[in-house]
Amino acid sequence: MGIGPSTKETSLHHFRDPLLDIVSADEELDLMGIIIVGTPDDNEDKLLVGERAAVWAEAMRADGAIISTDGWGNSDVDFANMAEQLETRGICVTGLKFQGTVGKFVVTNDHLSGILDINKSAEGVETNMLGENSVTALDARKATALLKLKMRNREKKE
Amino acid sequence: MEKDLRRLVIKAFHIKNIEEGAENRISPSGTMTIDRGILEAILKKYPQIDHADIQIIRPGDRDRYTNTMMDIIPISTKVLGKLGEGITHTLTGVYVILTGVDTNGKQTHEFGSSEGILRDKLCLNRAGTPGNQDYIISFDVTLKAGMGQEREGVLAAHRACDEFIRIFRMQMKKFRGEACTERHEYHDVVRPGKKRVLIIKQVAGQGAMYDTSLFAKEPSGTEGGRSIIDMGNMPVLVTPNEYRDGIIRSMQ
Repeated sequence: MGIGPSTKETSLHHFRDPLLDIVSADEELDLMGIIIVGTPDDNEDKLLVGERAAVWAEAMRADGAIISTDGWGNSDVDFANMAEQLETRGICVTGLKFQGTVGKFVVTNDHLSGILDINKSAEGVETNMLGENSVTALDARKATALLKLKMRNREKKE
Repeated sequence: MEKDLRRLVIKAFHIKNIEEGAENRISPSGTMTIDRGILEAILKKYPQIDHADIQIIRPGDRDRYTNTMMDIIPISTKVLGKLGEGITHTLTGVYVILTGVDTNGKQTHEFGSSEGILRDKLCLNRAGTPGNQDYIISFDVTLKAGMGQEREGVLAAHRACDEFIRIFRMQMKKFRGEACTERHEYHDVVRPGKKRVLIIKQVAGQGAMYDTSLFAKEPSGTEGGRSIIDMGNMPVLVTPNEYRDGIIRSMQ
């Protein structure tokens, strides 16, 4: 388990979320909505909820998704699976997650190349200072730009 | 050609001064008084809570001890319409920080607690934290022994804090909109022909201090909210305007 105070997103963060600001303002993108998905305890449930999110995205004919989490550690299982489920359905994925040196993915797969690190401390650790490692506008811009690039490359191949 | 689905207007009222006073009152001209005597009436409903305190933390006054910060909450209320459309009034210049511990000294955080000297534990000027010129209202809850990491105890702390904020929400509903200091207009739009994208937010849903509430009646509130845990952590879809109107309450 790992949702420390320097990565956790407060209600105020959700109220003025930089990721939403950046994506919704981008006139090259049609933002269909925001899917909120939890992080269950049980492993089977972890795989289920990410798959359901991906099925939903597929049904909406999404070209891409930016996935974000305010946790690290065992919630990586849900997160990595969700990236895989989305990409195997042909949906381009980028995302934001605390990594640094202590929060590297505990499980990996071939679908995490678009996940950017939001760590901001030189040592790469959870600093336990609330807000310090939360997503900033710059993080959000990077994830958005990378998604646009991935979607463009996919289009060229098709 | 863009299609406009709906509009949300958020009107902000800037708070310039907060003092202790004989009542909990807020004026659209930017003054606020806090009477912590209200706690007695609120806490009667929450047997999980031993006692609580409300403190005004002035800008710059951060060399002080804090218990672990469970959440930072904007003070907002719906004036017209439902979450995601219509008009919302919110305050700038002041945010509520909910902190918690139990009588055994157990902080209401399992992993990476943020108790300590506030200056070292709160990074200001981020999307999720107050700015260095903002007031902070500290709502500090001491739960009964053993309740510091129980879901029931943590929920009680959030609900008690929400009742305190509600006092101001009720007054803010009556503010004249044109007296606001900032006005922001947001539109849910469809951009036909553009790349169709989703934001997918993975949020806490494991238990006591790792919970997320959705669909409360008031922006960033708890009343009427549904826990993502109770919804099986299954994906839920919200509109951009619902999201930016405070449809998510972090219950950490």
